[in-house]
Amino acid sequence: MNWEHNSRVQLRHWVLAKNGKIRPEELDDHTPILEQRIITSLQVMDLILFLEQLTGKPIEVEMLQPGAFRSIETLYQHFCAAEAPNGYQH
Amino acid sequence: MHHHPLEATVERLCAVSQAKYANPYTAIDWPAQLDGDQWCMSPELISIFGTEAYMHLSAAEQRRLSFYEAVNFFSLNIHGERALVEGLARRLYRKGHRAISPYLHHFLDEENKHMTYFGGFCMRYAGKIYPDKKLAFPRTYAPGEEDLLFFIKILLFEKIVDVYNVRMSKDIRLVPLVRRINLLHHLDEARHLAFGHLLVQQIFQEYRQQWSDDTLHALRDYLSNYLVATWNEYFNPEVYRDAGLDDPYGLKEHAFQQPGARAHRREVTASCIRYLLATGILSEEPAL
Repeated sequence: MNWEHNSRVQLRHWVLAKNGKIRPEELDDHTPILEQRIITSLQVMDLILFLEQLTGKPIEVEMLQPGAFRSIETLYQHFCAAEAPNGYQH
Repeated sequence: MHHHPLEATVERLCAVSQAKYANPYTAIDWPAQLDGDQWCMSPELISIFGTEAYMHLSAAEQRRLSFYEAVNFFSLNIHGERALVEGLARRLYRKGHRAISPYLHHFLDEENKHMTYFGGFCMRYAGKIYPDKKLAFPRTYAPGEEDLLFFIKILLFEKIVDVYNVRMSKDIRLVPLVRRINLLHHLDEARHLAFGHLLVQQIFQEYRQQWSDDTLHALRDYLSNYLVATWNEYFNPEVYRDAGLDDPYGLKEHAFQQPGARAHRREVTASCIRYLLATGILSEEPAL
């Protein structure tokens, strides 16, 4: 199973579900999800928990930069790219 | 003759704070160990109370979970009060806040003491504080909006906390130390809440007319989401993991959505909602 594909798909599903209004074709991996208020700053806490669940690794919030939450692309690069759990291929 | 709308209140609250001045190093006797057979959180206030996962736990496992729930509750208080202390310190003697600054000194002092109570408990008995998962993103504000948001977020957070404090300070099932910490916190918070109610209302009335409808709409949206986000933190997967429960993230999602949990949130938040509607800050009840 491909970790990169799987994590991008799961992130995309999470964002679409949390927003509830945006159409799937309006969201690609480079859409600025915070800037366009697809995700609110208050939902980032939920997103952090989702990323922890996805990667199986705790996230130290104090070490994070707001840029990490810019898009699905930056989420994947910051949180998932180096974290393929056992059983996945990069 | 008072020149600031809150000047008389500030004088009265300062007098009470001076009379009730506490030494945090003598206010609490810290036992070397906690009695593991007692509750640290009222069972009805445990986040997953009423779920199947909770009902399948043994009595001893429920009490063990209550310990980690208490550590989470106290950790949330530390994070909330840390942000409060930062914001209060920035506002001391700032233009527009000079009249309330005498009380801000007491507010700062008392919040710092609360953090020593909460931190003392968490570090002594759990060896940790659950980390804060909130992030602040830079944004722009309409005139008065940043101040309003700062004080109103604190007010709502503390109003919810205070319901828990009052209930747990009276709950004879709990470890005496936990009841004591909840009581000490409540006694100071009663003054902070009185101050917050008046200050938030005054800031809103002062600036509301300067805001566009879009600004007010966005503010209302934000506050409704803030209440949900505040409650979300009471459901901490790390607590469930520490208590030995399976699928902690799934349990969080499931427990948060339970009708009983929703009813609990509505009941505890009722006085926040009444205040927000009565002041016109919100125009309709948010979905919790």
